Amino acid sequence: MAARGSCPGCGSAALVEDAHYAQQQLVCAACGCVLAEGLLTTTYAEEEHLREVAYSQSTGQKEQLSRCLQRGIRRVQDLCKVLHLPTVFEETAVSYFQRALQHPSFHLVSLEKKELLGGCCVFVTCRQHNWPLTMGTICSLLYAKQELFAGVYLSLQKELGLSVPALSLGDLVKTHLNSFRLFQHAADIPASFVEDKEKMVARTMQIVELASETWLVTGRHPVPIVTAAAFLSWQSLQPAARLTCTFARFCKLAGVDLPAPAHLRLKELLEILLRMASQLAWLRVFNMDKKTVIKHIGDLLQHRIFLLKNAFCLEDEEEPRAVAAGEGSPGSPAAGGAAQEEGCPSEGKRQREGGPRPLLPPCLLNPRKRLRTAAPSASDSAITGDEPISDSEIEQYLRGPEEIRAFRKAKAWL
Amino acid sequence: MNNARTDRSLEGAMTPGIPIFSPMMPYGTGLTPQPVQSTNSLSILEEQQRQQQQQQAAQQSTSQQATQGTSGQTPQLFHSQTLTTAPLPGTTPLYPSPMTPMTPITPATPASESSGIVPQLQNIVSTVNLGCKLDLKTIALRARNAEYNPKRFAAVIMRIREPRTTALIFSSGKMVCTGAKSEEQSRLAARKYARVVQKLGFPAKFLDFKIQNMVGSCDVKFPIRLEGLVLTHQQFSSYEPELFPGLIYRMIKPRIVLLIFVSGKVVLTGAKVRAEIYEAFENIYPILKGFRKTT
Repeated sequence: MAARGSCPGCGSAALVEDAHYAQQQLVCAACGCVLAEGLLTTTYAEEEHLREVAYSQSTGQKEQLSRCLQRGIRRVQDLCKVLHLPTVFEETAVSYFQRALQHPSFHLVSLEKKELLGGCCVFVTCRQHNWPLTMGTICSLLYAKQELFAGVYLSLQKELGLSVPALSLGDLVKTHLNSFRLFQHAADIPASFVEDKEKMVARTMQIVELASETWLVTGRHPVPIVTAAAFLSWQSLQPAARLTCTFARFCKLAGVDLPAPAHLRLKELLEILLRMASQLAWLRVFNMDKKTVIKHIGDLLQHRIFLLKNAFCLEDEEEPRAVAAGEGSPGSPAAGGAAQEEGCPSEGKRQREGGPRPLLPPCLLNPRKRLRTAAPSASDSAITGDEPISDSEIEQYLRGPEEIRAFRKAKAWL
Repeated sequence: MNNARTDRSLEGAMTPGIPIFSPMMPYGTGLTPQPVQSTNSLSILEEQQRQQQQQQAAQQSTSQQATQGTSGQTPQLFHSQTLTTAPLPGTTPLYPSPMTPMTPITPATPASESSGIVPQLQNIVSTVNLGCKLDLKTIALRARNAEYNPKRFAAVIMRIREPRTTALIFSSGKMVCTGAKSEEQSRLAARKYARVVQKLGFPAKFLDFKIQNMVGSCDVKFPIRLEGLVLTHQQFSSYEPELFPGLIYRMIKPRIVLLIFVSGKVVLTGAKVRAEIYEAFENIYPILKGFRKTT
């Protein structure tokens, strides 16, 4: 193809664009003089119009990483997209995943565990940014067993030395209630069951805070508590219409699972509320029971600080329990015990109805009867480990020849 | 002045750096200034030093035991300490140890600071090498207290009644003994298992008995706010109520793992010696007390 201009050497106008190997050159057809050589690089102006390719999508990364790692990274990215997480989370999770796979203890685990590892990295990232994500959600997204997930999560935390802050209950309440279907009118939900989201979230938060103050939350799975609190707050906002609705029906209408412990949490919450109601002046005249107390949850929550102080005996310095007093620990002088007596007259008689009971976790209030192993006796502690062993003692563990024959015959039949 | 000369004269004979001048050493005990010391007098000198050190050690231990007797916490611990750190008779140490008062591993804290609670040992895991290859089928056939299911697990599970323990016996001759409540019980039980294997016709020995793990538990008698503990001790604690109701606290020194529950019960595991469990509990008790008065 003829190009414009004239050759400086011979003045001919026959300029041709020819490629010398890979390089474009402007050559004079007459004398062979090279006028211009093609540029190996494009100018900045030209590159501006090119589409920027992210490294993760270029082939460069594919060639550097193993297929397993690529698949894992893609899984992590998909999880983040499904959960609508910000992009920062995705980068952090991918970096954790890469670090983990390089670690010798994760390098050779089964494929199933490697998939769980991706989910664990997303979970850890969310927790570090205080994004309320429960293990149940991740397990259901990965179709994983919770025990296996728990094992991988704990070993990931240990190997990479990650510090994961605790799940914040407040955020969990908001996120969990987001999935409830009772905030808009629908065909299968009666009109009186629909509730305003803000009011329900606020009241559920208050009930959950009350539960955490009264030792109902420590050591327990958080989701059943939130579900039970949501049910109570929903009922209390319109008790007339909703008292007849059962817990199971509420969960079905709301479109959430009813976890098994939620019934027990509900019972415990109601017991706390009943005790508080017994201290409220204008409720003392009524005979409160589990159903009627729900109507007054609003008042109880409003005055909860005062009511908690009066309804429950708060723990003092010295242990009040009679069992502890008998242990003879040097740290409980008699003077402290006397002061304790004044502050809480019914301390030792917890069974008496109406009297303030100590504010303790339920596992201490209803201790299960356990076989207590006896403390090592004097004869036990006298063992030196080098005593002579009598032959007769050992003989009792050996079979005699007839017994062996009989055993052999019996095994042959099996 | 006199002693300075004896010191310099002895320097060539004895290895340097030995503190000859200690308060307990009376002057002139067989240290006649001579250019060359015969070995006899050298050993006499060391004998005298050792005797004095033992006397002093005995005095120290009895006085310490007297103070500890009141609280009655860990008398066994201090008793074992006196045995191990006193020099054994018959060996002449090249460097007689300096005359310092004996230091126990756990310092004697006054009764008001210590918790007054002693963790109880619940389980000891130990291993021993019987030193010969074993035929597990024979053992399972000829022993009453053995079970062997090769499809499930490649070892014989044997149990004895006194001390109540369980042992896993492998065909290589190695054995794991679990369930004892003290180190001595674990050793006695392991010896009994070895004796059973001996009577079954194998040349079993008792090599390399080692305690691998000790588990203890105790109760601080007040409820604990686990959420608060995980906030302040984040680098050591792991609290996942979705997984496990207790808080897992990994102590660095000593290297013990503690399971702390809301009821106030604490389980300590990962120790190789009893003192580590006691030390770990004494370390965690003030931390737990700090979480008591939250309302």
